[in-house]
Order: sequence, then structure tokens, then C-alpha cells
Amino acid sequence: MINFNIAQWRAWAPGLETADDWHAWSRAPVLLPVSEASPDVSFLPAMQRRRLSRLARMAFSVGWPLAEGLQDLPLVFISRHGETPRTLDILSDLANDQPLSPTQFSLSVHNAVIGLWSILRNETSEMTALAAAGDGLEHGVLEAATLLNEGAPAVLLVITEEQPPEAYAGWIDDVPFPYALGLLLTPGDEWQLELTSATVQPCTTAQWPHALNLLRTLLTEQGACQHAWKNRVWNWQRKP
Amino acid sequence: MSNQKSLEHEIKELIIEALGLEDISADDIGSDQTLFGEGLGLDSVDALELGLAIQKTYGIKIDADAKDTRNHFTNVASLAAFVTARQAA
Repeated sequence: MINFNIAQWRAWAPGLETADDWHAWSRAPVLLPVSEASPDVSFLPAMQRRRLSRLARMAFSVGWPLAEGLQDLPLVFISRHGETPRTLDILSDLANDQPLSPTQFSLSVHNAVIGLWSILRNETSEMTALAAAGDGLEHGVLEAATLLNEGAPAVLLVITEEQPPEAYAGWIDDVPFPYALGLLLTPGDEWQLELTSATVQPCTTAQWPHALNLLRTLLTEQGACQHAWKNRVWNWQRKP
Repeated sequence: MSNQKSLEHEIKELIIEALGLEDISADDIGSDQTLFGEGLGLDSVDALELGLAIQKTYGIKIDADAKDTRNHFTNVASLAAFVTARQAA
């Protein structure tokens, strides 16, 4: 069991940009229409932001305001599927015997976003890029809790998923729309996360990705939520 | 426009497109402007990307290790001269 506080949050999805947008969505969650919209990252220099994919832009747009004024802020970056559009572009070039784009290649690795984050913020704290299964959020929070336990005054957690290209539709079914959630975690006991083991019935798995479901719990002032993946059941509990 | 000038313009468009320089136009790049480091401010990933774009567009081979390759990539004018020489060869 781990304890922590969620000091601040930021989230982005196409059409959902402000806290009010997310409060409204949390009360009545709906599937968002397919969109090419990308978050505003004009706070980054033009030469630096030109190569950023939407996934990277989403991560920066939720993480940047949370890191405002904080130095030595460790970062836990989580994405189950990562840069699927880039991966498909690269694989398509390979299949067609075309040379690979160095830019695409250098930014396709899973830790590309934290590398860019480190460069652009001049941040040298510990950073981790995780790709877990359906419960990446919880594994990321566990990682963050260990950093808090080691003495970090705050840890930034960013979890994001990009809408996969059509070619992956047969395999990726847990990204209803592109989204990113940033949480600024601090030491405390407002939240408690506990892992138990159980045989999970398919009907008990959350309808929305864990990150969005947690945000709903946070914004609708519920005291608890339960996220199950395979035989792992994660119990989130807010101190009453 | 002379052949040289029109090739230079074409290379400027190629640079903008291949390197995602969305905020500038071909007229913003001087033919004698330094491309890497200072000047336009391109970096080493841009160098690889631009080398690839030149090879694909003009069907020429660039030896990344050759010592004069760096000189060919100094500015748009030197790139145009390099492409012209290679295509004639």
C-alpha cells in the first residue's frame, strides 16, 4: 500500500482543454469525435517544437504548467502504446525499401519525450519512461511513490496515449481518443493505493482508461475507485 | 530566374518541408546564410534529414564520411552547386 497527495492535475484531449471542460466531461463522459487537433505548446521555441508529435505535445502541454517554478522535479512518463503513428511510418518505409527518416527514428524510442523534456527544461533529475499493460497508471504511481519515499519533494507523472493508426485497430482497443493526464504528486496521505489479487470478471474492468477514470473520481469528489487488469486489482481510496 | 536561382529556391522549399520549418518561407532563407549551428540554426539531426531529402529528390549519393561533404552543406548556394555538379557527373 502506498500513500501520496495529488497536489495538482492537468489534462488534455481534443476539445477538452480547460478544467471546466474536464469537470463537465467527468460528470457525463462521452466518446470524443475523431480529431487531428493538437494542444498549444507555443511556450516552446519554434525550432524545438517543430519535430514534436501530438503525443509529445500532449505530454508537454499537461506537464509544463505543473512543473512551473519547480526545479529538480523527477518525471515518470507512461504510455502503453507510445508513438504508434511514427512507428507505422518507419515500418512502412522499411517495407518499401526506403531509407528511414533520422528524425522519425530518433523520436520513435519510448524515452524520446523525457529526453526532450530534460533538454528543454534543463532538468537533470531522475526520469523514467514506462510502458506497462492496461495498468500503466498504477505502475507509474508506484514508481513515483518510491521517488517520494527517497525524499523527492514532488514527482511529476505524465500518462498519455495517441490514437493509433487504423492498421493497429485489430490489436489496440484501449484508446478511445487521444489523451494526456499530468499529476503533480507530493508526500502525504490524502490518497491511498493498494494492490490486491483477484480473478477479474471482464465486466468489472473500467469503461475508460484508468487515467481518465481516476480523473473522473478526482473531479466528481468520489472517495474511491477500483481498476482491475488481468489478476491485479488496484484500489484507490481518498481520505474522507 | 536563372537555373542556379531556381535550383536554390527549390532547395529552400525542400529544407522547409523536410525539416518542418513551419514558421518560415523560402524568402526568409538567404542563399549564403549558414545553415547549421549559427545562421538558420539547424542541428545534426537536420543534417542527416536534409542529406536524405537531397539524395531522394535528386537521386544522388552523399558520402557522410567524405571530408568535403561538410562544405557542401554550408549554405543553399553550396548545396545547389553540389547538386548541379553531381547531376552533371
